[in-house]
Amino acid sequence: MTTIIKNLQTSWLKYATIGISGLIAAFIVTLLALIVTRPTLEGLITSITSSEIHFAIMLSLSTALISTILCIVIGVPAAYALARYSFRGKNIVNALLDMPLALPPLVAGLGLLLFFGTTGFGMGLAEMGLEFVFTPLGIIVAQWFVNMPFMLRIMRSTFESINPRYEYVAKTLGCSDPQALWRVTLPMSANGLFAGSVITLAKGIGEFGAALLLAGAIQWKTETLPIALFLNMSCGNLNMAISAATILIIISITALYIFEKFGGSSRF
Amino acid sequence: MLQIQNLSKDMGEFFLKNVTLDIEQGEYLVIIGPTGAGKTILLETIAGIYPPDSGTIILNGKDITHLPPKERNICVVYQDYMLFPHLTVEENIGFGLVLKKMPKDEIKKRVTDAAKLLSIDQLLHRYPDTLSGGEQQRAAIARAMVMDPVLLLLDEPLSALDGQTREMLRKELRRLHALYNITIVHVTHNFEEVFALADRVAVMNEGDIVQCGVPDEVFRKPNCSFIANFTSVENIFRGTCTSQEGASAIDVNGLTIISSTCKGNGEVYATVRPEDILLSREPVQSSARNSFKGTITDIVNNGMVIRVTIDTGIPFVSVLTRQGFDSMNLKEGEDIYLTFKASAVHVF
Repeated sequence: MTTIIKNLQTSWLKYATIGISGLIAAFIVTLLALIVTRPTLEGLITSITSSEIHFAIMLSLSTALISTILCIVIGVPAAYALARYSFRGKNIVNALLDMPLALPPLVAGLGLLLFFGTTGFGMGLAEMGLEFVFTPLGIIVAQWFVNMPFMLRIMRSTFESINPRYEYVAKTLGCSDPQALWRVTLPMSANGLFAGSVITLAKGIGEFGAALLLAGAIQWKTETLPIALFLNMSCGNLNMAISAATILIIISITALYIFEKFGGSSRF
Repeated sequence: MLQIQNLSKDMGEFFLKNVTLDIEQGEYLVIIGPTGAGKTILLETIAGIYPPDSGTIILNGKDITHLPPKERNICVVYQDYMLFPHLTVEENIGFGLVLKKMPKDEIKKRVTDAAKLLSIDQLLHRYPDTLSGGEQQRAAIARAMVMDPVLLLLDEPLSALDGQTREMLRKELRRLHALYNITIVHVTHNFEEVFALADRVAVMNEGDIVQCGVPDEVFRKPNCSFIANFTSVENIFRGTCTSQEGASAIDVNGLTIISSTCKGNGEVYATVRPEDILLSREPVQSSARNSFKGTITDIVNNGMVIRVTIDTGIPFVSVLTRQGFDSMNLKEGEDIYLTFKASAVHVF
């Protein structure tokens, strides 16, 4: 007993801080448990297997998958440039590319809505059949825009951690610049690319604010999982809302696990 | 074979300033200089990694200044090996051959031959991070050798290795050079590598080559105080070595120095650290096997220590503490005995 008191006296900071972190962890578990234990198991299963939730799952997955591919195709080259080359205005470009990270998704969505809905460029695209306002295409663009900085930052730090001399050696052995990137640097970045994709995919599935403004919340049309949660909650359909939330929780936990397991070296 | 003329490149912290250098076919050139002298950037500019700001590089009569690296057939081996971690040793060595679109069985054969040459043929299926430093560097050398390069650039290839491995790989480099008569430019800050490997040595400082010549000449007759200070390897002697029951006798201009390091017969370099040489007025009876009589030719007071140069037919430098010097009352022109142990003589 006395030793416990003695310990408390000598290292109260240690126990106090550990206590705080424990409380936060407990709070998170409580919230998650409250959500998944709210409906009866039977009600939950009925909702999860309903065709509306199926539609939301499929729409969320497919839009997130496409927006992730877009993030890779556009984000990886940009990250490479920022990691490898020095150019005028690099700092400004760096800061601007990180901007969507700090921007509230609603504001990003508003900007996207104005861009695709009111400018000549956006209307031109719409005339060509690429309609982004209140369509699933809008969901993809919203996810892409909001998640791009994550891919960019992870890949930038991944590329920066690879000594450029690997590419130098590859070039003396017969590679052109793109070949050296393709055969050496990209394979060496596989972990970072994987971690970046998992984060982008998971965040894409959960994207709400920007997608809400650009693509709207239209049942059976732009109804992703978060939108399904929002719509069903609004009209008091608690079981449906919670089943959407439960699926989102499962996706988050899975993504976090994969990220921690494989993306451990990439920090952003 | 390779002519570098007035090559300049400014990369901020590192730079080249009007470097002019001629490299002969089949030559082993060692470039030595302090950190930040621009040694690596010179190698990388020769390899074509950076375009120079000005100057030309001529390889076998052809201007290659603006040729991309892949068209130069110049290979680089770095201190940190730079083996591609996602490929096996076999895939690493064959990397360049695959790019040449060589038939698979031909690649297999050449890779195996190169691996055998460097005694790593047992490791071909392994990944680089499971190899020791020495093995990794052998693989990196094999990856370059298999390309049959016109010029092999080595950037401190032995610096990351421990003493014994370093010595073995140094011998290996000498063997490869002799075997293939390949032209090698080797950058280092280690003097032993200069004496063990170089046909010629170039001393680099602040982006320029300050002196170039055979090692003996450069170290004996430095053309500026930078080299004298930088090299400051005193008591280096070149001589003929004969083995004698666990020791070796090195004949330097008629003077025989006994060393306990055994190197076999032939041409060697021997060094003795100045502080290992004991000075005395009378011959000393001791177990030390080297004792010579000479004349003091020079006394330099460095504040902390006094450097005394003694001519015994070959010049020795010894250092004394201020106290020791005062009590001996030495003067230039006086005769003196110097003594040092066989174990103090380093042979390479």
